Amino acid sequence: MEAPKKKVKELSATAAAHSFDDFDHSNFYSGSSDDAFCMLDPMDEWWGTRAYGAGYYQFGLPMQTAPLPTVDIRETLGNEVLKNLVNFSSYNYLGLSYRPEVIEAAVEATRKYGLGASGSPVLSGTMELHKELTDKLADFKKKETAILFSTGYSANLGVISGLMRPGDTVITDQYCHASVVDGIILSKAKVSFFRHNKVDDLEKKLKRATGKKLVVVEGVYSMDGDLPVLPEIVDLCKRYDARIMIDEAHSAFIFGENGRGVAEHFGLEDEIDIHMGTFSKSLGGIGGFVAGSFKLTNYLIAFARSRVFSCALPPGITAGISKALDIAREEPELRKRLWGNVHFAQNKLREAGVDIGDSESQVIPVMIRDDKHIFSYAEQLIHEGVYLNPVRFPAVSKHRSRFRISISAGHTTEQIDRGCDILIEVLRRNGVCP
Amino acid sequence: MSLTKYGFSQTVSAFFEMPTEMTLALLPKPLQPLESHHGSSIFAVTAFDFTESIVGAYGEIVMAVIVPPLVRKGGGFPKSAFYPFRLGTSTPESRAHAIERWHLPHHMADISIDFAENDGSMAVAVKEGDAPILDFTVTEHQWEVVDHLYQCNMNDDSGRYKVDIHMQGEFCEHEEERGSLTLYDHPMCAGLDPEEIADYPFRELWMRGGQQLFEDLEKL
Repeated sequence: MEAPKKKVKELSATAAAHSFDDFDHSNFYSGSSDDAFCMLDPMDEWWGTRAYGAGYYQFGLPMQTAPLPTVDIRETLGNEVLKNLVNFSSYNYLGLSYRPEVIEAAVEATRKYGLGASGSPVLSGTMELHKELTDKLADFKKKETAILFSTGYSANLGVISGLMRPGDTVITDQYCHASVVDGIILSKAKVSFFRHNKVDDLEKKLKRATGKKLVVVEGVYSMDGDLPVLPEIVDLCKRYDARIMIDEAHSAFIFGENGRGVAEHFGLEDEIDIHMGTFSKSLGGIGGFVAGSFKLTNYLIAFARSRVFSCALPPGITAGISKALDIAREEPELRKRLWGNVHFAQNKLREAGVDIGDSESQVIPVMIRDDKHIFSYAEQLIHEGVYLNPVRFPAVSKHRSRFRISISAGHTTEQIDRGCDILIEVLRRNGVCP
Repeated sequence: MSLTKYGFSQTVSAFFEMPTEMTLALLPKPLQPLESHHGSSIFAVTAFDFTESIVGAYGEIVMAVIVPPLVRKGGGFPKSAFYPFRLGTSTPESRAHAIERWHLPHHMADISIDFAENDGSMAVAVKEGDAPILDFTVTEHQWEVVDHLYQCNMNDDSGRYKVDIHMQGEFCEHEEERGSLTLYDHPMCAGLDPEEIADYPFRELWMRGGQQLFEDLEKL
């Protein structure tokens, strides 16, 4: 790379002291002081003088519609409602969140049972609806039983901290979700991260592991859209007597011949010790679950504190998920449409020279690798017709910034074509792709 | 405020993950390591090719742990804070100067630091005579002119100290995991288990043609 010809200015010693140009959230994570609020002022100054207006305002823009294939979004900087944007941001992979039957089931259950479950699932919060959903899930996953959690986050938190103890070791792919990491922290077990999908590094970590051993991988990695090298990982776990858990948040209900997930896709369902999944992606609701043996779930019912000490899933949500699961099973054509859409988008982007990494799924990263300019590209996209969230450090590695496209079965080919055309045009205009 | 200036042609730095339990053994209380992940702290290796200073030209290698910055109301806010636990330099004068003025802990022998730039990467080889100490490489990304503020923490028998340091020059950094690290069996690497420290940097930083400005030393 050619070095810039700029001459280094003789800057004053104090110029950098309050310059937040190169800062991000990670700079404000930890500071040493006697005051618990010591980081509030520096972060507030960064946020107000640099960050918000420079592009951070693009996170959490209020949606004016359901997460449909096209959406209306209020852009908060100019306070303008931008209409009919191709929605590449919502992870409503089967388009079920807005299906009339799902909404009707949720409304009916809310009328019958009220707004909330009004209790922990281990006390008064379990309703007939929860039992029905649990049974359906177990049948779908071909497991003895299942248990429900109020979020996917709390499922990972509860399972890992419920099973593992100080002196044990949890080995996880470096790209696993924060909820996996937080579950390990809560368990007080030793954590070891292996390089993404590198089985030689996993083996190195397994050799040094002490105590009970648990390996955690994801079905689809949420920022890269690739899959785990599951056969090799399962083989290693067997050789080193480690249990294996798969988080199928982004793969449950869409991967595999019957939609049971990436474990089914690889033909390894019986080799996996813990199957975890969520309802917020493909089923369009919220919540998490673990499917497995009665012994496993009985233990987790007792020791998964994130479940014991949370209210059970709301009745309306539970009924909606139950209906969404029925539809996902009864309409395999939804998965067929999804994969058709995925292949259409991947082919179109790759043919245009867009770097989409190693995506093998409905999660398609568009690699920008430029933390400074990605906000500007996102701004252009939203004003030209595509709603696409920028992802930058520290959510991903520094200068591995990207847009993360989520493809849905609900998209029409025309919508994907239009969205990709706008994206390619913006990337070309800015010299990101040829 | 007086400023002490060190001009450099190259400053090459890389951050490696190391187990927090190992890091804690290197840090004096009350310093705590900043963790990149739960259980993983940050071992920073930085090599300087100083071309201009009050003790002439010299090379320096700094081994440090990244720590949370000391934050005070109205004070400057640094990009990051370091605790250098071991330094080596190529001349006795530079060593004596850094110990006397900045209370930095040094390996008390001359070392050599070779910089070899090749096709977008920089390889740094550190030796004492013929004995290798460490080798590491970093690679480049997009270059830009910057003015960064860092905070350096020191600790010796006379007490705890802090100094703010400005780094100005052409700079690039990235996390593409393209670099490398080899630690050898040498006294400068004591307490660093190569089996436990990542042999690739998760972050690579490179600055060239710039200057380092030290503010006044502050006793804490």
